[in-house]
This record gives sequence, C-alpha cells and structure tokens, in this order.
Amino acid sequence: MFILAELLVFAVFFSVYAFTRASHVELFNSMQQTLDTNAALINTLALITSSYFVMRAVAAIRDNRADHSYRWLLAAMFMGLVFLVVKSGEYSHHFEHGINLRTNLFYMFYLSLTFFHFMHVIMGMVILGAVAFKMKQGAYSAEEHTGVESGASYWHMVDIVWLVLFPLVYIMH
Amino acid sequence: MTPDDTPKPYRIRPCTVVYIALMLLTLATWLIGKLGYSGLQVSLVVLGFALFKGFLIGDYYMGLRGIKSIWRWVIVLWLLIPGILITVAFSTAA
Repeated sequence: MFILAELLVFAVFFSVYAFTRASHVELFNSMQQTLDTNAALINTLALITSSYFVMRAVAAIRDNRADHSYRWLLAAMFMGLVFLVVKSGEYSHHFEHGINLRTNLFYMFYLSLTFFHFMHVIMGMVILGAVAFKMKQGAYSAEEHTGVESGASYWHMVDIVWLVLFPLVYIMH
Repeated sequence: MTPDDTPKPYRIRPCTVVYIALMLLTLATWLIGKLGYSGLQVSLVVLGFALFKGFLIGDYYMGLRGIKSIWRWVIVLWLLIPGILITVAFSTAA
C-alpha cells in the first residue's frame, strides 16, 4: 500500500508537469536545454544496473545463497550511491548559478520532482542497507525472505519512476 | 496463494538480456536528446521507450510476468494512465 501511494503521488506530479508545460512550452523547452543530459544518462544507467543487481539478490536468496545475495545487495547500494553523488553534483551546479525553486516555473517543477525522487533513492538505500544487515545476520533463507522481496519491490519502484522522469524532464520537447 | 499468483523462479539469462535492452533503450533516448530531435512524434517515441522499460522492469525484475497478481495491474496502470495523460498534454501543446 505504501508503494502504491508513492506511485500515485508521482503519477499526479508527472501529469501536472505535462499539463503545466502545455501552457508554457517555450519556457520549458528553453530551460530544458540548460539541464545536463550526460549526468541524467549516467544516473539512468546506474539505477537500471542497481535494479538488475537487486533482482540477482532476490534470485540468490531464493536459491538459499545468502552470501551471494548479500554481495548483490551491496553492489546495488553502490550504484544507488553513484546516483546520489551525480545528482548532488547537478544540484550543486544549479545552486552555484543561483537557481532555486523561485527561478521560474520549470525549475520549480524540475527541482521539486527530482528532489522528491532523490529522497526516495535515499529511503531505498536505507531499506536495502537494513535488508543487507539482516541478511548478514542470517535472518533470510529460501523459505523466508519476505523482507528481501519487499525491499526489492521498493527499489524497483524508485527505478521505474526515474525511467519516466528522465525523458519527461530532460529529453521530451 | 494459488498456482497462478505464485512467484516463478528467476531465469537469469532472460533478465540479463532485458538488462542489455534497458541500457540500449536508455542510450537511444539520450542520443535523441543529444542530437536535438524534437516534436510530438519524437516525444511520443521517447515516452514509449520509457513505458516499455517500465513494463520490462515489472515483468522480469519484479517477477510479475505471467502471474495473476494485483501488482502486475498496478504497474501496468501506473505506466499507462500517466502515459496517456502526458500524451494528451504534449498533443495539446503541439
């Protein structure tokens, strides 16, 4: 239910962005050109890779290989960290140029949407960290690994949201 | 759980193929942006790539492919409804 609520919020956010853009096409198109699509590419590849690693972690624990699952989780968290570092670099660049929520309508949406997602990545990292910790303690097995499946579902949700956010905010114009 | 909604074991090779497909679709999306292609049709193609990638994540990484789970419908509807609304908004703006 928690994931469902999160997905609904992002769906509303994306729709409002798209309809607001329809009334301010020139502003949104010109401001979009100021974004770093290379950083967005790296972040998209990082999240897709982390989702693959999380899938491998779930597959490993279903085979009762907790040590493998633990390592896949750590690898997924590393890719999540790559996302956070690259995204922080983007924010730093914007703030150095005096860009903030009040700069214009586009940046209000861009900063709100991406920061909201950024917070979800942090939350996902905390969840994966907790799952990895419990994995190391021997809490999961092929028979009982509900926590691993739930954590993986949350992380995939974070990934799917970014897969729509990336083209919508950075590419489509 | 009935047999229809029991998660199936992951088949790693198809998931790895899906991973490569996701990377290639992402690179194609980035390239379209880099080359400066724009317009409604280009936007809809890029949006289509994103929605397809979402389906692949749901089906292969979340293991929802071929099972009768409410979560499969949640993912499908979450991708389709915003996808349709974004399409309408971009069509209006064009």
